[in-house]
Amino acid sequence: MLIQIRKSLVVFFSVALLLLTSCAQTSPSRYQAVQQQSSKKGATAVVRQSLKGGEFNSFFPAEQDGYKRVYTQEKKGFAEAKLSKDGKDLAVMAISDTLNMPTAKVKFADSTKKIAGYPAVEQGTSTTALLVGDRYQVKVLSRSPSFTAKDRAAWLEKFKLSELAKLVKK
Amino acid sequence: MNKPIFELVDQLPTNNLTTKVLGMLDFVAPGQWKNLVGFDNTIRAVTGETDEAFIQQIGERAVQLYNDPSQGYQRAMWLYQTVDTSDRLLASSVLANKVGETIPLLGFIGNITLKSQKAQTIDFASKLIAELLAFCQINGIPGDSIGDFVAALADYSGESLIRIAGLICLDGLIPLGPSFLDQSLSTISGLDGRELQENPTFKSISSLVPGGDSAGQLAFVGESLDSVKGWMGGFVDERSLTRESLLGPLKGFVDFSEDKLDYLAAFLDISTNYYEHTGTQTLARRLIERAVAEI
Repeated sequence: MLIQIRKSLVVFFSVALLLLTSCAQTSPSRYQAVQQQSSKKGATAVVRQSLKGGEFNSFFPAEQDGYKRVYTQEKKGFAEAKLSKDGKDLAVMAISDTLNMPTAKVKFADSTKKIAGYPAVEQGTSTTALLVGDRYQVKVLSRSPSFTAKDRAAWLEKFKLSELAKLVKK
Repeated sequence: MNKPIFELVDQLPTNNLTTKVLGMLDFVAPGQWKNLVGFDNTIRAVTGETDEAFIQQIGERAVQLYNDPSQGYQRAMWLYQTVDTSDRLLASSVLANKVGETIPLLGFIGNITLKSQKAQTIDFASKLIAELLAFCQINGIPGDSIGDFVAALADYSGESLIRIAGLICLDGLIPLGPSFLDQSLSTISGLDGRELQENPTFKSISSLVPGGDSAGQLAFVGESLDSVKGWMGGFVDERSLTRESLLGPLKGFVDFSEDKLDYLAAFLDISTNYYEHTGTQTLARRLIERAVAEI
């Protein structure tokens, strides 16, 4: 009888421990849903029609006034360059094709702000973006506190935006 | 594809022999090593943003990009993991309870199989090739653009620079001595394609190495070594790096005698995964940079 009680207690506590530990381990990540969606067969992050990143390089601002530009990424529908001066990283500049991420255009819908005549928004605390031809998003993201929103707007204007706009018509 | 990217970054160790060795390399590249772990932490550190909804958006785009095989991030992760795993025969559990102590090298000599100088040289070259290939998978420059890679090496910083410092010090200087670069070039030029293919470290990544056949891949390895020789030689000279300058800092956590440097190099090979650790961090940074720029 005592042995039976002991066995039951062991089983009870083992199950309880299992339940407690499994509860502690299974709080899902905030990215679980997107992980599941983007892991499905056929899920893609880019579309075939988006431009190659290399096609955007010529529209970036040239090096000037001691500012150095180093191209850092060139992927499908995306190109990025780093802006630095005197060895200090100041900002990241990027052009992306919103065919790969149509939701990126939503933030421009209600924007009354314009830079160089294109709809523009501030995003987060360190990013300014504009939209060219309802398709290409051009961003400058500060990577130093000394690089302000005013600097970001100034460098957005240095992109060859009207040339980029011509790409949309192709 | 194995683990999700956010898990890989969340599960990076904060304190193990790998992080100690990387911290030791600080004197080689001062201030470059910061052990950034955690996916959300990396988003905050890269972007400077703290708004949780914005962080969620950035993280979600990064996960989408990583999970699309066509974008190359999983291949890069595979390269960093594979080129490190082929050396790693010593289970992390063996060292788990030694993190706070000075590890006696003699206690692990039985676990260590010494490799020939030729094998060590091919290991060094294989890790360099893995870095070149992973760089191109992550950043999207065509996979055999050695010229772009050499230009980018000059721009390496943070954990990427520490990884190259590790390659030079732990896989170059310690096992091969001060002439590791010249030695590597002459060894590789004297190999036939079959010897390269039979090396376990090279073999593990050979499916992604350009060149077509074994002769072509051998030529690619030789050209790659030749292209980085100037940069790596400059890195060593500017810092007056010698094998001896590394031994003092290493004695901070491994107890060894200086007639056992072959065993020291082999022990560090099998007990650390600095390539995988810093490679994961580099990949996460680049992914997050792209994600925040696209959303």
